[in-house]
Amino acid sequence: METFINQLFAGASLASILLMVALGLAIIYGAMGVINLAHGEFVMLGAYVTWALQTFLGIGLLPALPIVFLAIAAVGWGVERAVVSRLYRRPLDTILATWGIGIVLQQLVRIGIGPESRFIAGPGILSGNTGFGGVVLSNYRIFVLVFAIAIFAATWALMAKTEFGRKLRAVIQNREISECYGIRAEKVYAMTFAYGAGLAGLAGALISPLVNTTPSMGTYLVVDAFLVVVVGGVGSIFGTAVASGIVGETTAFFSMLLNDTVGRIAVLVAIILFIRFRPSGLFPQIVRR
Amino acid sequence: MNRNNRADYLGHIVFILAILLGVPALLGFDGFELNTFARYLSLAIVASALALSWGTAGILNLGQAATFGIGAYVMAMHLKLVASAGNPDGLPDFMGWNNVTSLPWFWLPFQSLTVTLILGLALPALLAWAMGIFMFRARITGVFVAIITLAFLVALQLWFIEEQRFTGGQNGLTGLAPLDLFGWSVDTYSLGFYYLVAGCLIAALVIGSLIVRSKVGLVLRAIREDSQRVRYFGYDVARYETFVFSTSAAIAGWAGMLYALVLEFASPTYIGVAFSLAIVIWVAVGGRESLVGAAVGAILVNLAEGRLSDMFVESWLLILGVMFILFVLFLPRGLYGLLRQGFGRIARLREGQGPKDARAQESAQ
Amino acid sequence: MKRRSFLTRLGAAGTMGAMGGLAAPAIFRGAGQAWAQGAEIPIGLLFSLTGEVAVVERTLHDAALLAIEEINAEGGINGRPLKVHIEDPASDPATYADRARRLFIRDNCVSVFGSYTSASRQAVLPVVEQRKGLYWYPTLYEGRECSRNIMYGGAVPNQQQQDFVPWLVENFGGRFYLLGNNYVYPKEENNVCKMLLDQLGGEAVHEEYVPLGHSDFSSVINRIRSTGPSLIFSTLVGDSDVAFARQFHAAGFDSAKMPVASLTRSEVEVAAIGGEAAAGHLSSAPYYMGYSSPENERFVEAYKSRYGGDQVTHFVSEAAYFQVYQFKAAIEKLDPAEITPEAIRDAAVGVTLKAPQGEILVDPNLHTHLWPKIARWKSDGQAEILVQSAERIAPEPYWAYAGETCTGEGLVRS
Repeated sequence: METFINQLFAGASLASILLMVALGLAIIYGAMGVINLAHGEFVMLGAYVTWALQTFLGIGLLPALPIVFLAIAAVGWGVERAVVSRLYRRPLDTILATWGIGIVLQQLVRIGIGPESRFIAGPGILSGNTGFGGVVLSNYRIFVLVFAIAIFAATWALMAKTEFGRKLRAVIQNREISECYGIRAEKVYAMTFAYGAGLAGLAGALISPLVNTTPSMGTYLVVDAFLVVVVGGVGSIFGTAVASGIVGETTAFFSMLLNDTVGRIAVLVAIILFIRFRPSGLFPQIVRR
Repeated sequence: MNRNNRADYLGHIVFILAILLGVPALLGFDGFELNTFARYLSLAIVASALALSWGTAGILNLGQAATFGIGAYVMAMHLKLVASAGNPDGLPDFMGWNNVTSLPWFWLPFQSLTVTLILGLALPALLAWAMGIFMFRARITGVFVAIITLAFLVALQLWFIEEQRFTGGQNGLTGLAPLDLFGWSVDTYSLGFYYLVAGCLIAALVIGSLIVRSKVGLVLRAIREDSQRVRYFGYDVARYETFVFSTSAAIAGWAGMLYALVLEFASPTYIGVAFSLAIVIWVAVGGRESLVGAAVGAILVNLAEGRLSDMFVESWLLILGVMFILFVLFLPRGLYGLLRQGFGRIARLREGQGPKDARAQESAQ
Repeated sequence: MKRRSFLTRLGAAGTMGAMGGLAAPAIFRGAGQAWAQGAEIPIGLLFSLTGEVAVVERTLHDAALLAIEEINAEGGINGRPLKVHIEDPASDPATYADRARRLFIRDNCVSVFGSYTSASRQAVLPVVEQRKGLYWYPTLYEGRECSRNIMYGGAVPNQQQQDFVPWLVENFGGRFYLLGNNYVYPKEENNVCKMLLDQLGGEAVHEEYVPLGHSDFSSVINRIRSTGPSLIFSTLVGDSDVAFARQFHAAGFDSAKMPVASLTRSEVEVAAIGGEAAAGHLSSAPYYMGYSSPENERFVEAYKSRYGGDQVTHFVSEAAYFQVYQFKAAIEKLDPAEITPEAIRDAAVGVTLKAPQGEILVDPNLHTHLWPKIARWKSDGQAEILVQSAERIAPEPYWAYAGETCTGEGLVRS
């Protein structure tokens, strides 16, 4: 029983990290149809900005979070203006362009900062564990879980309750008509891309105390995150959240039952089957053609 | 349309002559250079295989490396068995290390070269056929095909690495014997081997072009533009898609077999996401609408990679990344698109058509 | 028209390639003489500077380059400077194979120094053996290989484990949790470990492999919690090792009661893990940055002043460094007229050298006699050496397999 609860939490923790990475991707993909393969590099940049703030300015991880968000959002804004904005009519080509951007960002970090791994300390107040009986939960992981849920709620509110969200949803539904109503679609797109990138940066900052910070750390994250987005249903951030939960818990379950490799294969096969029978995802978005 | 066809034929002939005569002469018939170029040519085959499914039918297969890798492993399994002939039971060394005591049944067919050559085409094709039925019957299209093939690729690679006792795991299959092709002991640094690979590339291009130009090709292009409408016309869209998907897989498997010969080992990185995305990039650079364009793209990118990494050890990857971005931004149809545009303009100038007419004609195509 | 101009460009690129290549066959035909006569001795460096393995291989590249620069600063070997050809195989086995061909065939290198992973060594092997080249491989590895064209500078399982495992059993108990990445090296090390445990009356309570690059260890940690082993015997590498160490520490385990005993953790990983999480855990390796010997002080000093004060040296970069000096010692024994890769190999056998880790010796089986040391990591990122092996330990790549020995004549089965 205790093992089971521990494992349940392991799944939830995995899900929270997945959600943090996938949320930004889901917004960018849902809003603009852009498959952003540089998303993993945004995550990596987030970790490196956290590292730089900590090492050179002595700013701890928690206070660094807003700065990281703004910094990576700025990078995202630049990338959108320079490259992605020219490709909205050819969404498949964004795969190639963003792949190129990913290579460039990764190599810039490698040349500029160095290829070696970097150490980022976790926040001191969140070290240690909370335990009752045989159930042991890491405080930092609890924090990441709560934070991810909070960010998700904030994003949902942004989409549903604010002026910006209304404009974005209008542009998603029909760009031309929205423009007729005076919405500047370009600006909305740039803001959305920047916001998605900023979320990726936050994800990078949050995972940095748990993993190895290297220039290539983002490479594998993007594939998983993208699978989660598609399973959740394109354009539905709620779907992304549910899909993260399912994928996280399934992975943890198979890992307990078998091992991590077989667990991952099983989840991938499940995803393939799911897309086959429900290509529009868990929560399909209704868009007029 | 006719004029463009003529230009395309001309392009094919120029390309084939360059591969057969130009390149070997430029390389001075040097064994090392021929070997390197043979590697590029085998990659050109897999690129044109992707162009066949992506450019013609709009099926973006992000898992093309899977069928390529299977081809490579098929060839490597045969060569590994030949190399292990002296061992007790003919058991490959790595199996012994992993406590496998007798040759597993699915390795047995690869003792025969003929069976190996057939399976190198048939296994990828069968796999793609099964996946094709699985996906296309459910009318999966566009980005979802990309995602399914990508997820499949990742799963397949993990599985190959996991089954170390049968596949050599992360190291792959190494320590291979040279290929004995019905009495011809293949030296991969020879002109003969270069022509073997070049011949395979040309054969793949011819087969591909025949499909593209046939009625099947026409239907496939129609599917690319609007599969729903094709379906209303009474065509079995899934069957056409499955056909081109498996043909492309067979050609990719063939390319993989040659690749394993050139590099003398098979590695799970051949089934990797990075490699699979690289194939997509080559095709995009060359131009997905043309099989020859895709092949040229593969050759050029690899050539550039080789030269750049020699000259700029630190920053070659940076240069390459920027090049890709610029290509996508300014040459969306790749080199082929650029050439075609240029060619059309020249032809029209010769015929004395005004530029306004020309633009109208271009948009009509 | 455009097509033609583009073909000309293709032609131009081809010619560039050809010009490099055209010179090569002429040299290759009279290989021995070319190596004897040229003013410079051509050697190659084949370490990834891009891609994921660059994290470690960059340091190996730097260490080997440092040795080369030192040798050239003193006028080269027998008055002939080393001409170094640098290639970047980009962490990809196929690219390793391609670049190795360049170095051995096109650039006619008499020796190439390279590789960290087993997979990349295996990718290079066909061309090295075919061209009778010599490849200097500085990394610890799984053994069970006996190529006559590779100089192995790193430890094989017996050198790292034969003192380490009994010491662990004695100090922490015999219930081992074996954890590694999913490839040949961890599996071989664990085979050897299980054999030793059998002899010592210990047991492997669980054996587990995660994919390379795997970075979420919550499930593994839960399993460790429920099995309660005496220690975790780790062969995780790179990203996985760092992620595991940090998550293991965050999970609240006490390193004094249940340490991670690693064969692969070096100063590079510890720097990324952070001193606090790494402290108290154990390693077995022939070299640590903090080892005190005059040779090591010189090495660390030179390395830091060349590449920066925040850089670390470790047991693989030390080997990358001393292998260049082994190469130098071998060449010095040869008459210039007889320099070939095979002659260098034969001359290298028996070479003794004061390396940073102690006096090392090249065995006839081309592996190196080393000085393994058991150490505990401290919170400043350095290792405190607990046990220094009493004598230099001979390499036995087939240690766990009765009836097979790697000798100067290659693999011998009895």
